[in-house]
Amino acid sequence: MNVRLATEAMGTRFEVVLTGDDPPRLRTVGEAAIEEIEDWHRRLSLFEPGSLLSYLNRHAADRPVKLDDDTFELLVECIEVHAASQGAFDITVAPIMRAWGFHKITGAADSPSSTGEDTPTAAPVGSEFIQLDVDRRTIRFLKPGMAIDLGGLGKGHALDAAAAVLRENGVECGLLHGGTSTVVALGSPPDEDGWRVALKQEGPSPVVTLRDAALSVSAPHGRTIHMDGERLGHIIDPNRGSPARGTQLAAVVGPTARQADAWSTALLVLGHRPPGLEAGLTTLIAGDERADPRWKVEGPECGIFSIPDCLEEATETTP
Amino acid sequence: MTECDRRSFMMQTGAGVAALTLMPEFATAAPQSEGSALPVAVIGVGRQGRAILGELQKMDAVQVAAICDIDERRRLSGQRRAGGAEVFPDHRAMLDKRKDIRTVFIATPTHLHRDVAVDAIQAGCNVYCEAPLASTIEDCRAIASAARSAVGIVQAGLQGRSNPIYKLARTFYRSDAVRHLVSLSAQYHKKQSWRTPSSDPAREKMLNWRLDPALSLGLAGEFGTHQFDVANWYLGQLPTTFRGSGSIRLFDDGREIADTVHCDIAYNDGVHFQYNATLGNSFEGRHEVFYGTNSAIKLAWTHGWMFKEADAPTQGWEVYANRQQFHNDEGITLIADATKLAAQGRLKEGVGLPNPPLYYSIADFLTSIIDQQPVVCSVEQGLRATVIGILANQAIVTGQTVTADEDMFKGT
Repeated sequence: MNVRLATEAMGTRFEVVLTGDDPPRLRTVGEAAIEEIEDWHRRLSLFEPGSLLSYLNRHAADRPVKLDDDTFELLVECIEVHAASQGAFDITVAPIMRAWGFHKITGAADSPSSTGEDTPTAAPVGSEFIQLDVDRRTIRFLKPGMAIDLGGLGKGHALDAAAAVLRENGVECGLLHGGTSTVVALGSPPDEDGWRVALKQEGPSPVVTLRDAALSVSAPHGRTIHMDGERLGHIIDPNRGSPARGTQLAAVVGPTARQADAWSTALLVLGHRPPGLEAGLTTLIAGDERADPRWKVEGPECGIFSIPDCLEEATETTP
Repeated sequence: MTECDRRSFMMQTGAGVAALTLMPEFATAAPQSEGSALPVAVIGVGRQGRAILGELQKMDAVQVAAICDIDERRRLSGQRRAGGAEVFPDHRAMLDKRKDIRTVFIATPTHLHRDVAVDAIQAGCNVYCEAPLASTIEDCRAIASAARSAVGIVQAGLQGRSNPIYKLARTFYRSDAVRHLVSLSAQYHKKQSWRTPSSDPAREKMLNWRLDPALSLGLAGEFGTHQFDVANWYLGQLPTTFRGSGSIRLFDDGREIADTVHCDIAYNDGVHFQYNATLGNSFEGRHEVFYGTNSAIKLAWTHGWMFKEADAPTQGWEVYANRQQFHNDEGITLIADATKLAAQGRLKEGVGLPNPPLYYSIADFLTSIIDQQPVVCSVEQGLRATVIGILANQAIVTGQTVTADEDMFKGT
């Protein structure tokens, strides 16, 4: 039997689907997982002035800001992926995002010419200007005007935390997702090898089977702007200071959702696998001939969960 | 703490005179000097204790020096929230060992407040005690009695009195903007089971004290107390009779505590306060509404609105007011510092609280310590709101009319 819970957080809809034979208990545990997601939303939201992230963005250029262990370790991982991805993943892109008009909370993003803010290329960006003090657990920005945007892996981090709550409480089978672009699979549905997830697209769809693993898909959809007749997506190429162009989709399967999230963003920007790509990640980049054999090219109907479809379809076909 | 430190502390915690604006905090002061932060402890690091840790994290002038919880898992998760804090399983051990800590936040289960609060007060600590103050009138009085001879200050954690929107709305309530109160209502709606999971049955029983009829004040007591205090603060009078009912509408899982409750609370002047709470539906969340002959004021903790009657006089400030449509009614958004923001063309930026209500309550508490000023919400005020919660729960559980007499609301 399935128990489903959902919440709105981080500008999208999170869902938790748990399978088991004790629905009341599953619901209780699922609620705890949802609370974890909401808690991380409150801490990491760029748009909530009372969040920890907003607080450190306001003050880290002036003085070291103390952090809790979880947030500190999250930022350490961000810096590591930044280095390994040749700068393609960079949480300091917030000023560029703002300058390009992607930080409008509601409605369509503005084109940069109508934002009236700094030109994108003038923004203070670069994770190398983040100073993390391991002993004191503090963060400091070395350039004024810097700001962090954790949109590249915040959903994945929240899902990892929620999945940890589920595991702690003995839940062995479930699927969690944030906005259908980041997915965490616990165990597998009864009589299945895992949760089959299809990346729905025109033509044959890649399908991957997830079991105790996470998947993240990045694509230049969602929030977009139009400039000179070109539609530009919200994922920023930090090295160019402008929206990433060219690659239409990058997907990563990994042990944690935040790792998958960060790397799918990086691969979309790069359009190829860098030498520093972490071991243990399974990747798919649209247009790249060297797809990992774990991706089976089948029709979307072969997946019990199709991205970007909603989970409604998935649970209907779940035993 | 030196005068310089005090000034820095005030600015960083947003605790200065100007701190009750809607700015997130006043943290632009020079950095706090090394080692001069105020050491505090959080006793009880479950859901509410972690929320307190989260707000303290945004106050650089405060250092969480210790956390305390009888549950090992919670101690571990609390420790990750408060890096460097010393961890104790027992509050007495903490009070004995850490004589440098003279400010504590109590966020244990309600029925455990009494012992912790009395011990902390008698140890000379400044105490912030979450509300409801306790689960019995006797326990409330014990805390009030200890507070009367306290060396430090004691604040009841009723957040409405520190909320900038609620303060602003109260000035309207007290003016002709509302005029004569005809009735009031409040609700707490949130779809959740109110259960905390654990794979260990003994631990699960301990964590789910809110579902134990012997320990819990039910929805009216545990949630309503904060809302009853808002009514006390606005009306300046206490209720006299309670009628209630409760039932299980969604979570029929063997529990005895109702997941849906209604209560009619009557005042001597004929005003009635309708309170309802449910765990089966989330619509419109938590709010209070004061219905007056000139207007209604709706308060939803992070937002507030005034709905004017068509025949109510127009005020000058309404010209620049921000408005929101609710079906057929237009609400004037209550915005602290509205005049200043309007002059800067930034009125919409002031809609909603930038920080959670808890932040302002903690900031007020810290201000009172530093300035040695009276607390924003005293133990006596906490006692009165808690007694209302206890009596409302009693009416709901028994189905009988419960009558309050004045002595019940006294701390002695």
